[in-house]
Amino acid sequence: MEGRRLPLSNLEKDLYPSYGFTKAQILEYYRRIGPLILPHLKDRAVTLKRYPEGVEKDFFFEKRCPEHRPAWVQTAEVPQDHAEPMTVCLVNDLETLIWVENLASVELHIPLAKAGSPGTPDSMVFDLDPGDEAGIPECVRVALILRDLLSGMGLASYVKTSGKKGLHVYVPLNRKETTFEDTKTFSKVVAGVMQKHYPDLVTARMAKKERDAKVFINWSQNDSSKTMVSVYSLRAGEKPFVSCPLEWRELEYPSGSGDPAWLRITHSAALIRAEERGDFFQEVLMKEQGLPHL
Amino acid sequence: MAVQGIWSGTISFSLVAIPVRLVTAVEPGRVSFHLLHSRDYSRLARRMFCPEEKAMVPPDEIIRGYEIMPDKYVLMTDEELESVSPDRSRTIEIIEFIDLGEVDPIYYDHPYYLISSKGGEKAYQLLVEVMRRTNKAGLAKFVLAEREYLVAVTSRDGALTLITLHYSDEIVPDGDISPKKGTIEAEEEGRIRKSIELMTEDFNPGKYADKRRKKLMDLLATKVKEKAPVVSPAAVEEEGEGPADLVAALEESMRKVKESK
Repeated sequence: MEGRRLPLSNLEKDLYPSYGFTKAQILEYYRRIGPLILPHLKDRAVTLKRYPEGVEKDFFFEKRCPEHRPAWVQTAEVPQDHAEPMTVCLVNDLETLIWVENLASVELHIPLAKAGSPGTPDSMVFDLDPGDEAGIPECVRVALILRDLLSGMGLASYVKTSGKKGLHVYVPLNRKETTFEDTKTFSKVVAGVMQKHYPDLVTARMAKKERDAKVFINWSQNDSSKTMVSVYSLRAGEKPFVSCPLEWRELEYPSGSGDPAWLRITHSAALIRAEERGDFFQEVLMKEQGLPHL
Repeated sequence: MAVQGIWSGTISFSLVAIPVRLVTAVEPGRVSFHLLHSRDYSRLARRMFCPEEKAMVPPDEIIRGYEIMPDKYVLMTDEELESVSPDRSRTIEIIEFIDLGEVDPIYYDHPYYLISSKGGEKAYQLLVEVMRRTNKAGLAKFVLAEREYLVAVTSRDGALTLITLHYSDEIVPDGDISPKKGTIEAEEEGRIRKSIELMTEDFNPGKYADKRRKKLMDLLATKVKEKAPVVSPAAVEEEGEGPADLVAALEESMRKVKESK
């Protein structure tokens, strides 16, 4: 690729055995989605969630960029508390993306800040996680209320599927003045207000036992030490679902809401959507917004 | 850091509008305890129990009923309740001034301070001073947390206080309490007058303290020193209210969201 030699291995290995999806297919998915996912990964300390024996077996998180990396892989030094700085991979080009995928990094997780400005989140996120007895319809309801609540504060928001059961709502910031302290304070108050007005539907508390039939608004992801699964990343699961951007009107359209597969977007659906609609999630990288009343 | 208010807005009368924040003026002295499970020190939660089914009732199966006669209820939904709630407001509008001595203390409910916000300091000081000199209190209507209160605004030690008042129909009529009038013997009256005069002092609340609270706090202090506290397994993050302006703006946005639904 681009004159760089990149030996690939174990291409026939089926990493989603109950569905049938080989590493070659994973590489092909990431190659085709590359132009859309790369801007979102750019200059961020990517955490690789690796499934060397497939998604039904053990995984491990790799934050440190593997020592055996090719010389052309870009890296960054991330300062750490009480330790030497850590060398992380920057997935800034297609070759690096293919190289990390050859390591069976089914899922790619990224911080909300770039490696060069670790204290400055480029967006604020609400991770909507339905409890065991809640499902997509409850999650959609919460997301729509949240969108309207934020819109009333003058803030545009964007939504993607988690690729599992939940939804992720992003508020683009892209201002160097905004800190994680700001996004944490703001998102926590938002979650609290949501919980207060919809106590049967929403919880802002981490405790599993409080979730049940409610949707947990996880505001605590707004932290320099946390990562979110990247938009367009595959998720480990029974099928190769994708954390895929949605248009808000798709959530308002109730026709599919009775179907448990509604809003679960597979690799092939994600590629078709990408081809037809392009990356409407790139607004998250570009739109500048300030958080009011802080 | 400036004190965070539980409400912010303006206090106004005729053409004057002064930006203020509301803070509570009393910290309740009651020592409160949490209920824990003796086996693992978990914080216990309250759940609703249906004696008929002998089972816990999930929140979405809980509704409100007003008992009109034994075992007969009129149902009331959240929407219906909300429809009679007053609109939120950001002003405390003084409707009349009264003599301070006129307010019967039985009407006093909860005291707050009004703190002057940025830009209103001068007008605030002027109002405080004039109210002190004239010994007047402002009577106002004020919406806080979905309820409309009748409040008295008074001047105290260079600051404005706001006291929520009970509505007159909340006061239990004293007709049932006071005994029938009889004649008062002059001799008896003289004796009681004398006792009262002997016991009369200036009001000095600092002389009195809640003794049980003091003993309880001392006991807690001793116990903390003697033994490490037990640790609850689910140390959940505390819920703070957050910056008052942000909370108010979000509440306003939420009101509009609910209106449009």
